Amino acid sequence: MESKKLASLFQEDLCIFSLRSRKKASVMQEMVRHLKASGKITDEHFILEMLKNRESLGSTGLGLGAAFPHGRSIAIPELTVLFARSPSGVDFEALDSKPTKIFFLILAPSEKGAETYLDLLSRLTALVQQPETLEKLYEIKDFESLQAVLGGDGK
Amino acid sequence: MREEFKLLVALQDLDIMIKEAEEKKTSDQLKDMGFQLDGLEELRKARAKLAGKIPTALRNRYEKLAGHYSMAIIPVTENRCLGCFVKLPTSFFSSAYSSELITCENCGRLLFIP
Repeated sequence: MESKKLASLFQEDLCIFSLRSRKKASVMQEMVRHLKASGKITDEHFILEMLKNRESLGSTGLGLGAAFPHGRSIAIPELTVLFARSPSGVDFEALDSKPTKIFFLILAPSEKGAETYLDLLSRLTALVQQPETLEKLYEIKDFESLQAVLGGDGK
Repeated sequence: MREEFKLLVALQDLDIMIKEAEEKKTSDQLKDMGFQLDGLEELRKARAKLAGKIPTALRNRYEKLAGHYSMAIIPVTENRCLGCFVKLPTSFFSSAYSSELITCENCGRLLFIP
């Protein structure tokens, strides 16, 4: 997947540049509600339940202020990624115990294989390992900036 | 959608997650990215608890299908079962929309209509 393709997987209506929620459960709820409002999913219940279960397997807050909640469900029609940012940070039970400021929510249909989303997850987790990119992601306030950081114009 | 069918869908999502965590290739990939997968036993407990809430006959039907196919419940897209790709009769959908649990007449999988 080229960087341009990575950028093209994001949509402006699937970004929350300033999360209102301050707690882990409510952050997940806010992101899932946003997906429902955008018409990407029809049922919040299944997705929230799946994400909560995923967190019990191990926190998707990998540290460095970034989290990657993810999973597959029959209630997801297509690969979907949502970007969210919390300017003040949230306790997401991150592996380094530090506040989480950026979230990449990745959801994939269950009838397709895990590889559907693993490649994207791998790209995004690698992205936050770059200190300069990470600093930019912390400060993202609009879609154009996000596209620039992701390395493409999204077309 | 009937409550028991919602539970079945949640059970399948959980089964897929457990399978991914158990599979060496997938779990190795996730660990390489930095994810910890220490809570597998927690997931198995959650699975057992959820399965206990589903009526036995329905659960057995699910388990039998899940043993045969990779997915017991399969979505319907453009009136087709995405398991066997057979076009489903229009009459199917009137009963589906009245919250009945429907089965693909060709492959026997349970159908999820988004």
